[in-house]
Amino acid sequence: MQTKYLVVGGGVAGTSAAETIRAKDKTSPIHIVSDEPYRFYSRIMLSKPSFFLGKVPFDSVFLKNEAWAQDNTITTTFGQRVVSLDTTKKVATLGNGDTISYEKLLLALGCDVCRWTIPGADKKGVHYLRTLDDAKGIIENVKGAKRAVVIGGGFIGFEMCDMLKLAGLDTTLIIREKYFWEPLLDEPSGRMIEKALQKGGVNIIYGTLVDEVTGKTAVEGVQLNTGTTLPTDMIIVGIGTRSTLDWVTKSGIACNRGVLTDEFLRTNEPDVYAAGDAAEYNDAILEEHIQFGNWANAQLQGKVAAENMMGGHRPFRHVSFYSAQGLGMSIVFAGDIRVLPDRTVVTRGTPASNGYTRIIIKDGEIEGATMINRTLDLQPIVKLIELNVKVEPYLKQLSDPSVDLKSIIPPTP
Amino acid sequence: MADEKKKVKKIVVNRDLCIGAASCIVNAPGVFELDAENKVVMKKDGGTKTSDATERQSLEDKATDDETIINAAQSCPTKAILVYDEDGKQIYP
Repeated sequence: MQTKYLVVGGGVAGTSAAETIRAKDKTSPIHIVSDEPYRFYSRIMLSKPSFFLGKVPFDSVFLKNEAWAQDNTITTTFGQRVVSLDTTKKVATLGNGDTISYEKLLLALGCDVCRWTIPGADKKGVHYLRTLDDAKGIIENVKGAKRAVVIGGGFIGFEMCDMLKLAGLDTTLIIREKYFWEPLLDEPSGRMIEKALQKGGVNIIYGTLVDEVTGKTAVEGVQLNTGTTLPTDMIIVGIGTRSTLDWVTKSGIACNRGVLTDEFLRTNEPDVYAAGDAAEYNDAILEEHIQFGNWANAQLQGKVAAENMMGGHRPFRHVSFYSAQGLGMSIVFAGDIRVLPDRTVVTRGTPASNGYTRIIIKDGEIEGATMINRTLDLQPIVKLIELNVKVEPYLKQLSDPSVDLKSIIPPTP
Repeated sequence: MADEKKKVKKIVVNRDLCIGAASCIVNAPGVFELDAENKVVMKKDGGTKTSDATERQSLEDKATDDETIINAAQSCPTKAILVYDEDGKQIYP
């Protein structure tokens, strides 16, 4: 097979790229290869209680109708992975042996979830949340289950606990760390989230690992490293994501945790670009290589990469943020929230007042922020990051929750 | 697409569906923003903000075109933004 634009990945980054190309170029062949059996769907919906509990029709998860690809003369291959790539000959080989030659290639590969390797981890009722099939498995299991165990303190852990409690299950969250989301969040932020989880009826077990999943073919319990066994009907594991890049690395494309790109989303190989969760791009605002697993980010990267594949020269400039809400609380992360040794933290509000923001500063500029129940800080902080504002003269305002942060945004010239 | 020719008359944000993914804000920052509850609101003339049915004309930002607004709605991963044309017909979703 032959195409002009080959897009590997049928998620939001790949779809947005194909859409961007087709809007400007009505005739050049575009081919999307997806390893999933489904057309483009909303991966973000998969963790939302409204979807799990059937409050919205199941089919609303699909964001394009069945005719979309055909209407836009986009070739699609579903249920196939790329297994090797020759960047010199510009040919990708699929798992079924088919080859596709291309002129421009976009790697919109997304991420995989980290999987358990403990004994019993392959039993029926151990779930991960990455694909529509994963979600279907959880929905099916939740119906008959009375007790659930959630593993991992992060977004998936938080959202799944919320969903399971809404579904009426006895829910236990097991985390390896001393508090929720350690070390990405500080302890006061983590405790705020735990309080909301506990208020919602979630039982939390700290500093504990699961040694083994017990049961015959299906899950019956988890054996903890503390010696106790906890009975359960299902387990949802949310212990992080990783990119599977074997064939990408083998082809000579430079990778770190993700596929490395410059600010134009170009890899080190000519005519090969990357976008979305798998792209570890040179962030033009933060001035560092960074990887974000996030819907709006992936969508915009797909668009920018597509423009550049068509001959454009647009750097990707965007301050990414994640948000989650549930159990009566909102959690927002903006920019790069890692507190590395070269960074300081200014806090705003207090856990006791139920609104707490942490602003992470590097070289006098805001690098990122975490906001719990303080979403109104988001937009001004994003602006301050975007404009690379030197905030040292404003530390007092930053730490005073009654000051509207908009007041320190410099007027646009 | 034929849809693009129709004029956007009214926009509604369904707060029950909105999860604050903010892709609409990335697409049309002049029109949408997040409120204190992490839900999307539209910025109206005179500085008021609402998720409720809003006439296109009463938006504070006059520069954003119809295509951008429809793109913003289509970018929503939970289909929380409803767009209506001049005949009251729902354009999206």
